[in-house]
Amino acid sequence: MDALVVVVALVVAIATYLTWLALRLDRLAARVADARGGLVTQLVARADAADALATRCALPELADSVRRARAAHPALLAGGPLDGGVELAENLLSRSLRSGEVAAAGQLFPTELHAVDSEAARVALARQFHNDAVRDLRALAGRRLIRLLHLVGRRPSPTYFEIDDALPVRGDLPGLAS
Amino acid sequence: MRIGIACPYTWDVPGGVQVHVRDLAETLIAAGHEVSVITPVDDERTLPSYAVDVGRALPVRYNGSVARLLMGPVSAARVRRWLREHDFDVLHVHEPSAPSVGLLACMLADGPIVATFHTANPRSRFLTAAQGALQPSFEKLRARIAVSEAARRTLVEHLGADAILIPNGVAVAGFVGATPLPGYDDGRPTVVFLGRIDEPRKGLDVLLAAMPALLASVADVRLLVAGPGDAAGPRARLDPRLRDRVDLIGLVSDADKPRVFASGQVYCAPNTGQESFGIVLLEAMAAGTPVVASDLDAFRRVLDDGRAGRLFEVGDPARLAEVLAEVLTDPGGVTDLVRHAHTVAQAYDWRTIAERIVGVYRMVSGDGRVSVASS
Repeated sequence: MDALVVVVALVVAIATYLTWLALRLDRLAARVADARGGLVTQLVARADAADALATRCALPELADSVRRARAAHPALLAGGPLDGGVELAENLLSRSLRSGEVAAAGQLFPTELHAVDSEAARVALARQFHNDAVRDLRALAGRRLIRLLHLVGRRPSPTYFEIDDALPVRGDLPGLAS
Repeated sequence: MRIGIACPYTWDVPGGVQVHVRDLAETLIAAGHEVSVITPVDDERTLPSYAVDVGRALPVRYNGSVARLLMGPVSAARVRRWLREHDFDVLHVHEPSAPSVGLLACMLADGPIVATFHTANPRSRFLTAAQGALQPSFEKLRARIAVSEAARRTLVEHLGADAILIPNGVAVAGFVGATPLPGYDDGRPTVVFLGRIDEPRKGLDVLLAAMPALLASVADVRLLVAGPGDAAGPRARLDPRLRDRVDLIGLVSDADKPRVFASGQVYCAPNTGQESFGIVLLEAMAAGTPVVASDLDAFRRVLDDGRAGRLFEVGDPARLAEVLAEVLTDPGGVTDLVRHAHTVAQAYDWRTIAERIVGVYRMVSGDGRVSVASS
């Protein structure tokens, strides 16, 4: 009788623990999905702001980078992967935004330039939030027990999104880059 | 937005985190947000209308402050009810690495959670020991904010997680136009020092060592020292010529701080190291008092490489005396400096800082709401 009680208690404890692990995995997957959504929204917002500046100041190089970045956006908004192609296009846009051409145009149109810089700063934040979430999920999903029991199921492991989102230096006040 | 803030330390005990939470909450409310703060408190009558009591609990010392060990069923029930009643868009927990309400709220909630880390503690035994136990709660954090570079480094080293840097704010308007303390309204050249007097790295000894040389060039100068600590030590070491030139007035209340700055022609920060940010410098800058500070990284950054205040070589009394004399004998020469200092302080005004924090809230909140966690 006593042995039965112990076995039942043990089974309940193990089941509770596994349920708790599965719950944590679900919660992290939801966090990654939200962070991904936020990142995509922000990439679109940056491209829109850059487009406004390119149109206003007639900057062909910037307009071209915007076009290339935007080409991938419909697929991203439909849930497509943040893959190497997207990273490449967004890198190109980052680089165009740091060009001398943009800085010179910004002297004449400070409002448009400030809008682009703010959106670019938010891209850097959104990317950090996304990669933090991915790292937490991968750390938990990589645990031996979880792999052994296939608790992750068929969900593909999310990947980090790595782009160069360093902001241009425009002589702002100290410590207020974002 | 509907914002819930969890404050880990007792509301009516003075402390930096409590002040931060209060200023943030009041700035957010002024900006039109709906804010509720949950906090431990000793005397419930001291709570403002936007704050609720989480209940009394066991006091424990954590990193130099008294935290309330709040892991009991009563506080848990109160936090759950608070979460359920308010239906927050975002939950902002403070110092969730302390075993208190910040962590408790984080454990009990689900959804958009933001955390602010205040502590800079390179060798926290608690953090090292508790890392595994904290992970399930910390992995709910959508965004981590550190108030200083040192706090960010602590987080990276102990938890392997990065954070974005948003500094403490200064309530600039509260420092403008204060009246000098009684006896200091006569315009006599006065140097102000603010900080613990028995803490060597605050640098009072450097300033005292500079006084004899300063006396030689500014004959009627006096020194106003405001801050807690045992006054007997510094008083005994004082040069006899300085006895009647140095006033040690002890701890001043937050309300009197602007008046302390208004009492001096120059504010001096002779710190010798380990300053993570320099909020006091910004307060002096907001008050319009010229600043003379040690050339530390953090101070150099706040003072915009010397354009918003004068810097002197760390721990060098001779240079300090020279720089102080220059500022005191030629007040007109620092007009531009003071004007620029005020502009820099504006950038750290709570309204600006709170806007950046709201930007983070908006980025993490999405469509979801904060709910009570299912386990």
